[in-house]
Amino acid sequence: MKLNRRSALGLALSCGMAWATSGWAQTYPERTVTLVVPFAAGGSTDLVARVLAASMSKDLGQQVIVENVAGAGGNLGAGQVARAEPDGYTILMGTVATHALNPLMLKTKPYDPQKDFAPVSLLVLVPNVLMVNPELPVNSVQELVDLLKANPDKYSYASSGNGTPLHLSGELFKSMAGVEMQHIPYKGAGPALNDVIGNQVPIMFDNLPSSSSHIKAKTLKGLGVTTKERASSFKELPSIDETVKGYETYTWNALFAPAGTPPENVARLNKAALAALSDPDVKARMGEFSATIVGSTPEELGKHVQAEMAKWEPIVKSVGVTLD
Amino acid sequence: MEIFSNLALGFATASTLGNLGFCLIGVLLGTLIGVLPGIGATATIAMLLPITFQLGDPVSALIMLAGIYYGAQYGGSTTAILINMPGESSSAVTAIDGYQLARRGRAGTALAVAAIGSFFAGTISTFLVALFAPPLTIIALKFGAAENFSLMIVGLVSSVALAHGSVIKALCMLALGLLFGLVGTDVFTGVPRFILGISAYTDGLSFVAVAIGVFGVAEILRNLESERTREVMQTTISGLLPTREEMKAIVGPVLRGTGVGSLLGILPGGGAILAAFASYTIEKRLSKSPEEFGRGAIAGVAGPESANNAGAQTSFIPMLTLGIPANPVMALMIGAMIIQGIVPGPNVASEQPALFWGIIASMWIGNIMLVILNLPLIGLWVRLLKVPYYVLFPIIMAFCAIGVYSVNSNPYDLFAVAGFGLLGYILVKLHCEPAPFLLGFVLGPMLEENLRRAMKLSHGDPMTFVTRPISATLIAIAILVLVVVLLPSVRKKRDEVFVEEEG
Repeated sequence: MKLNRRSALGLALSCGMAWATSGWAQTYPERTVTLVVPFAAGGSTDLVARVLAASMSKDLGQQVIVENVAGAGGNLGAGQVARAEPDGYTILMGTVATHALNPLMLKTKPYDPQKDFAPVSLLVLVPNVLMVNPELPVNSVQELVDLLKANPDKYSYASSGNGTPLHLSGELFKSMAGVEMQHIPYKGAGPALNDVIGNQVPIMFDNLPSSSSHIKAKTLKGLGVTTKERASSFKELPSIDETVKGYETYTWNALFAPAGTPPENVARLNKAALAALSDPDVKARMGEFSATIVGSTPEELGKHVQAEMAKWEPIVKSVGVTLD
Repeated sequence: MEIFSNLALGFATASTLGNLGFCLIGVLLGTLIGVLPGIGATATIAMLLPITFQLGDPVSALIMLAGIYYGAQYGGSTTAILINMPGESSSAVTAIDGYQLARRGRAGTALAVAAIGSFFAGTISTFLVALFAPPLTIIALKFGAAENFSLMIVGLVSSVALAHGSVIKALCMLALGLLFGLVGTDVFTGVPRFILGISAYTDGLSFVAVAIGVFGVAEILRNLESERTREVMQTTISGLLPTREEMKAIVGPVLRGTGVGSLLGILPGGGAILAAFASYTIEKRLSKSPEEFGRGAIAGVAGPESANNAGAQTSFIPMLTLGIPANPVMALMIGAMIIQGIVPGPNVASEQPALFWGIIASMWIGNIMLVILNLPLIGLWVRLLKVPYYVLFPIIMAFCAIGVYSVNSNPYDLFAVAGFGLLGYILVKLHCEPAPFLLGFVLGPMLEENLRRAMKLSHGDPMTFVTRPISATLIAIAILVLVVVLLPSVRKKRDEVFVEEEG
């Protein structure tokens, strides 16, 4: 490669710039970082965020403050971060809902999950679980499929709401197993669980963390997890994939910054996130929570979002769920 | 007996030093909040919700929040009696005769009677919660969408029956509340309704924002209007203890108030307020000298005070056993439990016995604390109320705004506070009650959700409401209440009570 004067100057300049920006990156963060959780306090995403924020604060040397901006299935919080100053001081705890499902279902899109965000790191995968009331005479996914096939449209299943990952898990199960059952949406997993425990609705899809206590107490019968692999915290629970080949859904959490955030700051946040994920305390909490720690580079998260949107698009279309 | 071992567990949990401390903080804060006009337990608990996450231990958090709730019932009565300003809506009834007693220099007696009545009612109803909460847990699991719907119907019908003022206006307010309750995303189809294109309202109007607007802001506007006429108690409080005759005279009212309060507290929708009104009605009806009511009848203080405290206590039953909020404060308590990772529902008693019984035991401990705290503190409360209103109301407004914003970090909730504050003030001017409005706002969406869910589960067969025994029983109760209200003799009595109350 021949160096001419102009390119030499350019190289020198870019070196200088790289030095200058890395010098600046070393001082980031200089103040508290706000981690926006687009769901109400107390939910599984909120819990992951709070555990992580505490550990990330140690690594960053600045407090990471969790702010709940709940509403519109996560869109309010995600939209707020998409429009925030891209300086690395406002970041988002994104999920499969904010970065794959909602953008696919919404007619008017408040943000673009790929163009409006700078991916930071994938954090954890959370399995969902198919459960039934103990009085329903089935003990495996196969027996449930047989029962539903023998009685089409007689049974209903509950989920935490219309258009949630759990609703779509149920719809995907119906189409892949070739069965019919009515969907009964609730306002959150709590009231849905109540009705399934009381046998008002016999079947339910839920996040594993929020129903693990019921499965352990045998107030509900777990039939299968929705991940391809069995959950590490529930080895005895088969995966639905073992019966309905190719079935896979899960909820994931990932960190996003607004698009245009300096790459050095994204890298610093990525480092802090990965450090937090290897923190023994965080590992223990996530284990209790049945969440699988993943972690990734910003590029890998970008690809993950793309892959998730490609995976869910046909399902969302076939189910025909749209949100205004 | 199981109940004793359960209560022993509860007292062991509630009487750890930390939990006693949180209980004390709760009742202190509650009393202070209750005394402050315009700001209630709902706003306080909403403000403290995020803080409870940091507490770590759910028992401590809920004990403190519960303390604020029944502490506010006490504090509200203090100002109702001393300066005719109920700090809490449920102590509005206490103001009628309590203030008259105070003007006659019998403030001490009135306050003592209120304290004794509340304490007695608190003790009895704590045991009622302990005794009947577990059996209710079993029934709770039989409550599906159809039963919930019928229960909401009973709540709505009873609230209209016992609301004061014009029945037509109460019905209109209820309907208006129901309509505002529809704002937000339809649970079953995901279609947003009446949000005027504002995506911040897709989850519906914030209950806290609406409640603070309609009650808090409207109350402030009304108080500002009458700034010059605000009366501060000049007479000294003397003769703290009631005479032996007076003690004898309040036994009946306290007992009946406790009974009525305990029963109505379980119903969804402002049980404590309804209980106070119902008790006043009953006492006036049974009294040998009904003409004394409105002029300083001891029974008119003792009955309603017992009723509102008993109702405050038993409103924990549906929250603890069903996960159904009986009133706004309970809705926030449920939020606090969810923040702590506890799924409120039938399993709380069996899965979290220390939490369940700890809260129940703390109620009784909290009641003792309130009695000990409040009588000596009266002087201080009075001085606090001498703070000029032009200083007090901006502080209250600031706290309201912080409280509302902290719930969802949604600026549109603050616009809702302003809008509903104005609406609340207009309603006051039109002599329309905000209570049925709020009840409709809370119950409306629940009513719709359960109706539609029940219809879906029954595959479109409306007979599900009468073929399921619990649902059928509830529907029958609703019809019975409606018939009783429509009977002319009852209606006449009802009007009498409330006309005086307005004057």
